[in-house]
Amino acid sequence: MASATNVPPELSHSQPREPESLRVSTLAMRREPFWRSPVLWFRSLTIERRILAGFGLVFVGILIISAVSYRNTSLVVANSKLDTRSHELVRLLANIDVTLDEAENNHRRYLITGELLYLEAYQHVVEQKPKFLQYLDNLTEGSPEQQQRIDLLEQLIDRQLAAEAGAIDQLASHGFQAVKKMALEGAAKQELRDIHRLIAEMETSEQQALQRRVLESASTTTGTIILLGIGALLQLVLLAAVYYLIRHDITERRRVAAELQRRGELLEAANKELESFSYSVSHDLRAPLRHIDGYASLLRKAVTDSLNEKAARYLQTISDSAKQMGQLIDDLLVFSRMGRQEMLQTTVNLDQLVKTVLYDLRLDLQGREISWTIDQLPEVPGDPAMLRQVFMNLIANAVKFTSTRPIAKIEIGIGQRLPREIVLFVRDNGVGFDMQYAGKLFGVFQRLHRADEFEGTGIGLANVRRIVHRHGGRTWAEGEPDKGATFYVALPTRRPRT
Amino acid sequence: MTAIKPILLAEDNPRDAELAMAAMEEQQIADKVVLCHDGAEVLDYLYCRGEFTSRLKGNPAVVFLDLKMPKVNGLEVLRVIKSDATLRPIPVVMLTSSREERDLSESYSLGANAYVVKPVEFHQFVSAVKELGMFWGVINEPPPERSGSGH
Repeated sequence: MASATNVPPELSHSQPREPESLRVSTLAMRREPFWRSPVLWFRSLTIERRILAGFGLVFVGILIISAVSYRNTSLVVANSKLDTRSHELVRLLANIDVTLDEAENNHRRYLITGELLYLEAYQHVVEQKPKFLQYLDNLTEGSPEQQQRIDLLEQLIDRQLAAEAGAIDQLASHGFQAVKKMALEGAAKQELRDIHRLIAEMETSEQQALQRRVLESASTTTGTIILLGIGALLQLVLLAAVYYLIRHDITERRRVAAELQRRGELLEAANKELESFSYSVSHDLRAPLRHIDGYASLLRKAVTDSLNEKAARYLQTISDSAKQMGQLIDDLLVFSRMGRQEMLQTTVNLDQLVKTVLYDLRLDLQGREISWTIDQLPEVPGDPAMLRQVFMNLIANAVKFTSTRPIAKIEIGIGQRLPREIVLFVRDNGVGFDMQYAGKLFGVFQRLHRADEFEGTGIGLANVRRIVHRHGGRTWAEGEPDKGATFYVALPTRRPRT
Repeated sequence: MTAIKPILLAEDNPRDAELAMAAMEEQQIADKVVLCHDGAEVLDYLYCRGEFTSRLKGNPAVVFLDLKMPKVNGLEVLRVIKSDATLRPIPVVMLTSSREERDLSESYSLGANAYVVKPVEFHQFVSAVKELGMFWGVINEPPPERSGSGH
C-alpha cells in the first residue's frame, strides 16, 4: 500500500519544471467522470491486490446474480400458483352464477306449481352458501378489491334468498294469486341482475390480473435468463483469469529456474577459474621464494669466512622474508580453500575438538603458565576439520597474546544458549585491543599488533569468520587494551539450509 | 649393481635443479644424477631415444618428477611409465611445489610411489632432497631388471 500512496507524488515530480501542466492536470482530475476514481485506485494497487480485487468483484457479481435469479424464479413460481387460483376462481364464479340462476328459475316454477321439488335448488343454495363464500374468500386471499366484491356478492345473495323466502311465505299465506306477478318476473329479478353484473366484473378483474401476471412472469423470466447469461460469462472470465494466472505463474517459474541455472553455471565457471588461479599461485609463487632462500643459503656458505655480522644479518633477513612470504601464500591458499571446499555435514563434539586442539598446541604451551577454564561444550552440526580450524585459531591467538603475562588465564565457554543457536567464547587476559578497531579484526591480513610484537600473517581470524559464516553463524569480539579479549562464535544448533 | 644405477631428476627450472644438485653434492651422490629439463626428455631417456640413444641400457633407480614441466608434464610422464610393463617397476617420486589435493590424489591413483612437496625453506629443501636421494638412490633396493632389458 505504501507504494500505492507514493505513486501520485512521483508522477508529479517527474515534471518539476512545468508547474503549469501540474495545475492543469489537477483541474482535469477534478472534472474526471465518477468512474475514473475506482479505475485510478485499481491502477495504484500491486499486482496481487489487483488480482484479489478482480476476483472479489467477480465473486460479488456472481453472488448478486444468483440472489436476483433466485428471487425472480420464486416470483414466477408464485405467479403460476396465483394463476391456478385465478382459473379456479373464474370457474367457481361461473358455477355460482349458474347455481343462483337455477335456484331463481326453479323458485319461479314453484311459485306457479306449488311443487315442493322445485325448491330443492333454492334449499341447496341456502345450505351451500357459507361453503361457497368460504371457498371464494380463500381464492381471493391477498386481493382486497376482490374480497370487497365478495362481501357485496354475499349481501346480494342474501337479498336474493330473502326475496325468494318472502315469496315462499306469501304463497303459503295468500295463495297463487298473490305471487302471480313474482312468478312471472322472478322474485329476485333485480338482485340476480346485480349478481350477474358483479360476477362478470369479478371475472374481468381476475382475467386482467391473470394477464398482468403473465406479462410480469414473462419479463422476469427474460431478465433471469439475461442475468444467468451474465453470470455464466463472469464465471468464464473467472476461469480464464485463473487459467491465465496459473500459466503466467508456471512460465515465470520456468524463467526463474532457467535464470538460476544460468547463474549457477556462471558461478561454477568463475569458481573453476579461481581454482586454477590459486593453483598457479600455489605452484608458481613458491618456486622463486625457494630460490631466494636457497641462493641466500648457498651464498652464506660460499662466503662464510669473509662474512661480517652486518652482512650475515642481511642474508638472514632475505631468508626470513622469503619464509614469511611462503607462510603468507600458504595461509592465503588455506583461506581460499575454506571458501570453496565442500562442507561435511556431521555432528561435531566440541569438547573432543578442543582437547585435540590443545594437544596439537602442546609445543606452543611448553614453558608457559596458563590457567585454563573450559566449560562442558556441546555438540553442534558442522564440518569437523573446519570447526577445528576455528578453535585452533582462537585458542592459538589466546595463547599468543597472553605470552607477556606471568600467568595467562584462558577461558573457553558457553556465552548463551538460544533455541536456534549457541554462543561460544574464548576469553583471555592478554594484551587485548581497542574496541574502535574491532571491525578490522576479522579482515584478511588485518593485524592490530606490530610484527615484532606478535608474529602472524593476519589470516587466522579471517578464516574463523569465513568458516563460521559458511556454517550459518556469526562472529564478534570484545576487548580492552592490556586487559584481555573475548572472541564470540555463534553457531546454529540446527543444520543450515544449503 | 645398485651403486651404478642412475637417479633421474626431471626439473625444468634451472635454479631448482641447481639447488637440488647442491643438495645431492652434499650427499656425494650428484654424479649419479641424470638431469632432464622436461617430460619429453625423461621419456627419451627411459626409451633410449633422441640424445639418449647410446646410453647404457637399464632403468634408473628412481625418477624424481616435477609436476609442471614444458612439453610433457609430470602427470603425463607418470601415466606413460606406469602403463608400460617394462617401466612400471621404476619407483617414481613426485617432487613438486603443489600441495593441491587434486594433484596428490591424481598422482597416487596413477601409481606414484611417493609425493613430496618442495619446502620453501632451503635447509628443509636440502634435507628433503638429501634424504630422498639417499633413500631411493642408495638404501632402497630397486626391482630386478627383467630379462632382455639387462645391460
